This record gives sequence, C-alpha cells and structure tokens, in this order.
Amino acid sequence: MTDDSLLTSLLAAVAAAPDDVPLRLHVAELLAAADRPADALAHCSHVLAAEPGNPTALALLQRLTGALTGGAAPHPRTANEPPTGPLPAAGFDWAKAEQQVADVREPAFAEDAGSSPTEDVRTAERPMIRLSDVGGMDEVKQRLELAFLGPVRNPDMARRFGATARGGLLLYGPPGCGKTFIARAVAGELGARFVEIGIADVLDMWVGSSERNLAEIFRTARRNAPCVLFLDEVDALGRKRSHLTHSGSLRNTVNQLLSEMDSATGANDGVFVLGATNHPWDLDSALRRPGRFDRMLLVLPPDGPARAAILRQHLKDRPVAELDVAKLVKATEHYSGADLAHVCDTAAERALAASMRSGTVRALTTRDLLAAAREVTPSTGPWFAAARNVALFGNTDGSYDDLAAYLKRHRNL
Amino acid sequence: MTAPGPDTDGLADARVRTAQLRRIRRLDDAERVARQALASWPDDAGLLCELAAVLLAAERWAEALPVADTAVAADPPGERGHRLRGLLLSMTDRHQEALAAAWVAVTLAPEEPCTGIAYTRVLQRAGRVRDAAQAAHRVVTLAPSSADAHYLLADVAGDLGDLPTARRAYEETLRLAPEHAAARHDLAVLDANARRPGRALRGLIDAGRLAPAMTQVRSTVVAVLWQLSGRTRLWFVLATIAVLMTADNPSAARIVGGVVLALTGLLGWWTLRGLPRGSWPVLAATLRTDRPLTVVHAVLAVCLLVLVAVVVTGVGALAILVWFALIVLGLLTIVVRLARRRRRTRR
Repeated sequence: MTDDSLLTSLLAAVAAAPDDVPLRLHVAELLAAADRPADALAHCSHVLAAEPGNPTALALLQRLTGALTGGAAPHPRTANEPPTGPLPAAGFDWAKAEQQVADVREPAFAEDAGSSPTEDVRTAERPMIRLSDVGGMDEVKQRLELAFLGPVRNPDMARRFGATARGGLLLYGPPGCGKTFIARAVAGELGARFVEIGIADVLDMWVGSSERNLAEIFRTARRNAPCVLFLDEVDALGRKRSHLTHSGSLRNTVNQLLSEMDSATGANDGVFVLGATNHPWDLDSALRRPGRFDRMLLVLPPDGPARAAILRQHLKDRPVAELDVAKLVKATEHYSGADLAHVCDTAAERALAASMRSGTVRALTTRDLLAAAREVTPSTGPWFAAARNVALFGNTDGSYDDLAAYLKRHRNL
Repeated sequence: MTAPGPDTDGLADARVRTAQLRRIRRLDDAERVARQALASWPDDAGLLCELAAVLLAAERWAEALPVADTAVAADPPGERGHRLRGLLLSMTDRHQEALAAAWVAVTLAPEEPCTGIAYTRVLQRAGRVRDAAQAAHRVVTLAPSSADAHYLLADVAGDLGDLPTARRAYEETLRLAPEHAAARHDLAVLDANARRPGRALRGLIDAGRLAPAMTQVRSTVVAVLWQLSGRTRLWFVLATIAVLMTADNPSAARIVGGVVLALTGLLGWWTLRGLPRGSWPVLAATLRTDRPLTVVHAVLAVCLLVLVAVVVTGVGALAILVWFALIVLGLLTIVVRLARRRRRTRR
C-alpha cells in the first residue's frame, strides 16, 4: 500500500471513529511526515480538545508549530529531560515574536465585529419604479396616495385639514402579495433612497448590540435623507413584549425601535418609515400609537387586472397558443403573486413534458393553466383563516375594518 | 476534513441567533442559521439542541429526533439534549423511550423548571396523568412565580378532573401573566363545562382580543353558542307546555305567553349580563360563520315570534308550531353532531 492510499484509509477510519485518540495521533504523525503540517495540526488540535494533557499530542503540536512558523522543529523533550540548549538571551527578540503572532487575528470589539449594519443604508439606491408600475391594485394605490403620499407631498395643506405627514405606514396582508414592491414604488414616488431592513440586519448576540445596530441604521438613514426605511417583517423586530418575557435582549430591541420611530418620524426629517408584516396582530400595541405605525394599509392578493398583468408577465417568454385571460383570472381568485408564478411554472412543466414526448414544441394553452391552477392551492388560505379570527375578535378599534369588509364581500365573515 | 479554526464567537453567535429567531417564530430563518453553522461545527451539542428545538417548534418531530439523538451523543451529560429527545419521542408516540429520556434529563438537572415541565408533559402524553400532576406540583414549587408552571398544573389538573385545582392554577397564571391567552381560553372552557356559558363567552372574547389569531377561540365560541341554543330549546319545551295548557282560554294564554316572554328575556339577560362592551357584534359575526348554528338561532327567533303572536292573538294553540320547530331543530342538531364527529374521526 502506498503512503497516500494508507493515509486515505486511515482518514476514513478517523472519520468513522472520530474519538479514537491513538488512531488520530497516528494519522497526525503520518501527515506530519508527509509534509502536511496544517492537516496534522488540525488532528492534533482535535486530540487536545478531547485530552488536553496528552503528552504525545503536546509534543507533536510543538513540532508542528515550529514547522509552520518556519523555524526548525524543536526536538520533542520529555518532562524530566533537562533543557540542553542555551538559555534564552536576556534581551527578548521582539521582532521574531511579533512575526510569530502576525497571523493571529486581532480580537475585535463587539461593534467592530462583522460588517456594519448601516452599509445597506449608505449604499442604498433610489428605485426607478413608480406606483403606476404596480399592475392593478387601484384601491391600494388610491389609499396610499390619500393616507401617505398626499400628506407627505403637501405637508402644509395636510396641516390645514388636521392631517399630518408624521408617522409610519404599515403594509399588511397575506404573504407574496407585493408589499415590498409597493414599498419600493413609494420610495420611487418620493424620489427617496430605499433601504430594506430585515431582522438579520439587527439581531446580534452581544448584549446591547441589536439596539445599537438599530439606532445606527436610523442615524445613518437620517444622514442620507430623503430615505424610505422599509422594515420587512416588522413583527419580528417589534413583537409584542408580553410574548418576549424570556428574552430581555429582544424586549430591549422593541423598546429601541419605539424610541427610534418617535425620533425618526416626529422630526419629519426626510426619513419615511414603512413596515410590512403578514401578522400585524403580533406587533406590540405601542408600535401602533400615533406617530409610529399609525396608518395601516391592507395589501390583498392581486385583484383581477393585477392577476392578468402578473400572468402575462410570467408567460411573456414562454410559447403560448391561445389564452383566455378572463377565465384564468376568474379561476385564480385569492392567489398571491407567488402562487400565480407557481401556476405558470406548473403549466409550463406540463407543456414541456408533452413537448418532449412528442418531439415538437407544444405551446401552453388555457387548459394547461386551468389544470395547473386546480393543482396549486392558494397559499393565502391559512392567512385568511387567521385573519377571519382577527376581524372577529381583534377589531375593537376599527383597525381591521378594511379586512372585515373584504372578508364580508367574499362571504368569509 | 475537520472543523475550521476555533471561531467561538461565530459559534456563540449562531446559537444565540437561532434561539432568538425561534423565540420570535422565524422558524425557517432559525433553521437556516443553525444548519449553516452546523456545517462548520457539526458536533456542537448546543447548536444541535437549538436546531432540534426549532424543528420541535415547527412540529417536524421526525426530522428533529435524529438531531436530538446526535446532540445527546455529542454531550451525554447535557440535560437539554435529553429533555428535547424526551419531548420528541413523546410527540412521535414512543412513550416509554420518552419517559426514560425525560427522566435522564430530570436526574441531570433536578432543580431546573424547564426540565420538570418537559417531564410533566411527557408523563401527561403517556397517559400517566396522576404522576404528571405530582410532577406539575413539583414544578410549581420550583418556580412559583412562573406563569408557565401554573398553566402546566392547571392543564394537568384539568385532565385529572380536579377542576378546583385547575381553576385556581389558571387564575394564578392569569394573575402572573394577564395576557396569557391560552390560560384565558382554557379557563373559559372550564366555565363552559361547568354550564356557565355567560362567563365562558366573556373569557373567550377576552382570549380572542388577547390573541386574535388563535383560531380555536372561534370554534370554542361556536361550541358555547351551541350549548346555549340547547338550553334555550329546553326552556322553550317547558314554556310551550305551559302555553298549551292554557290554550282553551285566550286571556290565560295571553298572560302565560307574556310571562314566558318576560322570563325568556330575563334568563337571557341573566346569562349574558357579564359580557364586555362590544361583544354582541362579535357573537353575531361568529354565529354567521357556522351555518347550522345560524339556522338554529334563526328558528329560535321564529319561536319567540310565535310566542309574541300568542300574546297578541290569545290563540294558545299556535304554540304547537314551536314544538314542531323544536323537533326539527333536534333532528338538525343530531345530524350536524354526527357529521362533525365523522369528519373528526376521518382526520
């Protein structure tokens, strides 16, 4: 057996029995002899993790470290053996010592660790899309104009009528219905930068760091105004504090968000805070108070014209024979944009399979798409089940009147 | 070949992040973070436990079990791995193994309330409710100010049929955590079972307001409304007998009909007097979500109108219509109950 094949077999044996210390040490010795000190060192470290005082491993480690740092590998010495070499000189060789630790990573302070959460804010772009690019959804666009864009564009006139441009806007509705797209379009309408902030940009394991990240994001947004700060899945950041009794850190993050919302929207300094959530009922009630997310906008599954536009968009690069869009639109009531994409993909797969069987391209037909629509159940179902309950029990202040009206219209309430 | 350098910050960050994401119910994100970290630290028991906890929360028990097994193998003296393993075995109906695993966890950390809660749940699911009650009492002793501990005791005591203890424990849970929607709901169920539909409805409406997305609230309200309709039907049977007995004398029929109407109103007010403001639209809307129940209440309203007609016309014989209506309702109730039971067994 050659050395390589022996090593391969032994490595396989180590993988099968990772806790076998003698075997691992043997492999480490062989790797060191095969001039693979880095690999040998990894095995050696593993052994030392299991048995910190293992003398053989310690000796091997000393040898390997010497080899890796470029110096001659010192001869392994037993504990009882007296030192044979010359004693170190009185003047310590700092240059050599620094060279030896040159590759050791410098310990970082909490705020320096990882990339800055404000990077996205500084590099954010101004979206080119406008509300007119959103297909259908005329009701949403109208309400957006009345409740948010109008007062922001005409603050003086709004003030005269007792309306205000203060406060954030919360978009809510079933998943996959274009809340993010609408938020981008709002930024486009305002000619502002668009910054999307998710839970991952904020959460940090260090105590106080999540709050600092959040504060820094808002501070940078103010410096880069006008700016639309879009808090995606805001219920994750602003969850009801009564549900976070076991996590002081997450509670503090909610407190920080409340305070940032007050300062960002109160000063009206060009930072427009938009939030999106599938579960507004999980938001801390303090976040819904005036000056914070005091305006809510229901973003429902696409209406008829929007569905037609989405279907056309997904089919535009695919072979389509004849298409009865009206029939398709009727068959896809309550389907989200993502569901419609899924319908098109499923129908395309079916047509592709048929084409491969026949050897000629068979274009997509209405029948394919209707069959696919029957196969794909709308993903909005569970959301509406919860929403019905919310409209029944949670609509004490009329916040969910839109939702209740929609459910009544569709005989769900 | 082996793990990368000992980037302990990265490992701790992954553990904390997974736990935080799990707490805010971002289970997909939590799973992704844990799995990514496990690619670098495949043998880390803490990380494995976090992943198992995420999968447990996502009710993906079959996937979570091997993860918990690996966590236990990586750190045999670690209590959390055994605890999670016990819970997962219990959820997959492997009760004996679950009890053994949960017991190991309890022996490793006898003073830890979380372990006691898990052991109690495993006992409860294994059908050893009496032992579970003992264990729940022990958990309450360990953590007297924990709402979760009292809720556990209430739940187990309810299963055991010890309703006074269950009620006390639910009330203590709500004293410690006034927004505990599940405790509010379960206390309302106790009220409903104790034939106090008014209190039950009040509790359910509170629970619905505390946790609007809790879908079982609506079904419990519907169940209580069915219970109420049963009571009303029973009352109408007695009232109709009284009216029919005076059918020969129009004046007497008028008087008895009037008394029956007045008593019906009084009983209704007495039963529902404690409902919070704004409850009526909620109840009416809930009623509409259950078609057979809507029909039952519509027919009961017609029965009331018939009694009004008796008072106005003095024709006591009209009350026979109420009997017909009640017979139809009885049949409808039986059909609905059978159909729903069948649907439940099919599921």
